[in-house]
Amino acid sequence: MQKLFKSSHNAAGRLLVALCLYQAAPVIASETWHWHGYIAQGLMRSAESNFVNNDGAISAELTEFGLNSTWQLSNTLRLAGQLMYLDGGNRFQQGGRIDYLFLNWTAISELDWQLELYAGRYKNMHWLYSATRDVAITRPLIVLPQSVYFDAFRDIAVGSDGVALKSTHNLSWGELELNWSLGATPIPKEQSQRVISTLINGKTEQDFVHQLSAFLRPEQSKSQWGLSLLDSDFNYRRVAEDIFADGDFTVQRVMLNWRYSEQDWELSSELFQERVSVYGFYAPGTERTQFGWGAYVLGRYNVSPQSTLYLSHDHFFANKDDKRGHLLPLQSGGMIPSYFGYQRDTALGVSYDIQHNLRLKMEYHWNTGTGRLGPNVVPDIVVNRSRHNQLWAMQLMYWF
Amino acid sequence: MIKSAFGILVLLFSALLFADSPAPAPLVLVHPAVTVDALTPAQLRSIYLKRQVIWPDGLPVQVFVLPLQSALHKQFSQTQLQLFPYQLERNWQKLTFSGIGTPPTEVKSATDMLRLIQTTPGAIGYLPFDHETTDAKVIQIKP
Repeated sequence: MQKLFKSSHNAAGRLLVALCLYQAAPVIASETWHWHGYIAQGLMRSAESNFVNNDGAISAELTEFGLNSTWQLSNTLRLAGQLMYLDGGNRFQQGGRIDYLFLNWTAISELDWQLELYAGRYKNMHWLYSATRDVAITRPLIVLPQSVYFDAFRDIAVGSDGVALKSTHNLSWGELELNWSLGATPIPKEQSQRVISTLINGKTEQDFVHQLSAFLRPEQSKSQWGLSLLDSDFNYRRVAEDIFADGDFTVQRVMLNWRYSEQDWELSSELFQERVSVYGFYAPGTERTQFGWGAYVLGRYNVSPQSTLYLSHDHFFANKDDKRGHLLPLQSGGMIPSYFGYQRDTALGVSYDIQHNLRLKMEYHWNTGTGRLGPNVVPDIVVNRSRHNQLWAMQLMYWF
Repeated sequence: MIKSAFGILVLLFSALLFADSPAPAPLVLVHPAVTVDALTPAQLRSIYLKRQVIWPDGLPVQVFVLPLQSALHKQFSQTQLQLFPYQLERNWQKLTFSGIGTPPTEVKSATDMLRLIQTTPGAIGYLPFDHETTDAKVIQIKP
């Protein structure tokens, strides 16, 4: 799979450049630009965890800015890209980045079947909120349920460099959407420290991430059902002064999702099982595999055209065979408390549209357990000393 | 006494019936050069969700909508698309900020809507059921 991906990864890049050069000249007369963007600034605090920062102070590190454009090269070919700046404190790497930049070819556009192909850096289209989890205005909550949308892993899961496909079908029994993608995400050292451990000095690479998903909306139904599969490999290569060994990681996720919509309210839910296998890394020749479980239910109630209430409950177990984390102190010589083995979060949020493109969001989270606080492989036991922690956040967002 | 009570009940029932009778669904219109004459609700939904971006004859689809808070947009969403306006808006924002599509063009009034449908090749939009439709083609929506 790794070899297959590396060749397809290079091929995708060459395809992107070749198609741009081929298409650019003859379509200048028909080019069409679209520009959109957003800016969001907020305040947040998590006093007894390292989720936002290490000192528990109120933080303004809740800045999100994005500017995107799409260029219609021909009737069936389109170039799209988005530049983004993020500051989320400990949650993810601060700074600018290319969020996506891809070439989109509309291969089939019949009344009952559409097929789109993407090459370049594309967003993850396989989960309910994955494609725009880094865009403030599209998220139901400022902090999404961490079982599925783990922030420390966000920059790796939000998109990939490679190729993707989307196929939509109108069938007699409903509407079916199929997505497939194969790619990889570059992982800077700072990012890998947020995911694995602040103590690592070596280099982390994602070998590939292969995903498949299907969404079905049955005819005359107000509900939508989905299934997504993920398979990904990573490797860690130590440097001379490193306390860790070379390692390989495999992450595989099976996820179901569901959404039911009424005029004034909506319920959505995602649940998954995730296999994480670590080969080496802790010491040469070692192997550790565990299966994690996670699920959330999120409700929205449209109080008025301008205001919406959100309520969510999220549950995560790092090891389905040790739901209370009792093995963690035993395996770590008493260093890692059992509450690192799970996390429960109940959140209440409100959103108010001051104008049609200006929104204020506020929310409060009650957390028990620290299983979804980064780093994930070697947890931060210095700051995260409490089994319970609360978080509040408010954010003002504007878009055009 | 019983008669008058029965009369009041009949009046109340009639008033409820009258109040609940739905207004006729908005008309769906396209530019006269569009070769399609009828769509299923699912096909119309594909167009408004921006999944289908090209007509079968190769012309790009140009989707127009009225302001999202307008009564006609809400009626169109629910009767013709069988979606609530917030579902549509969420879908368009997802398209816009993940790069996989562009949102529809919002127009201010039914008059502007008709003018743009008449003059924009590949256009599709909607109007009140009793609005004039000169120089535009009315599309039948059939399950």
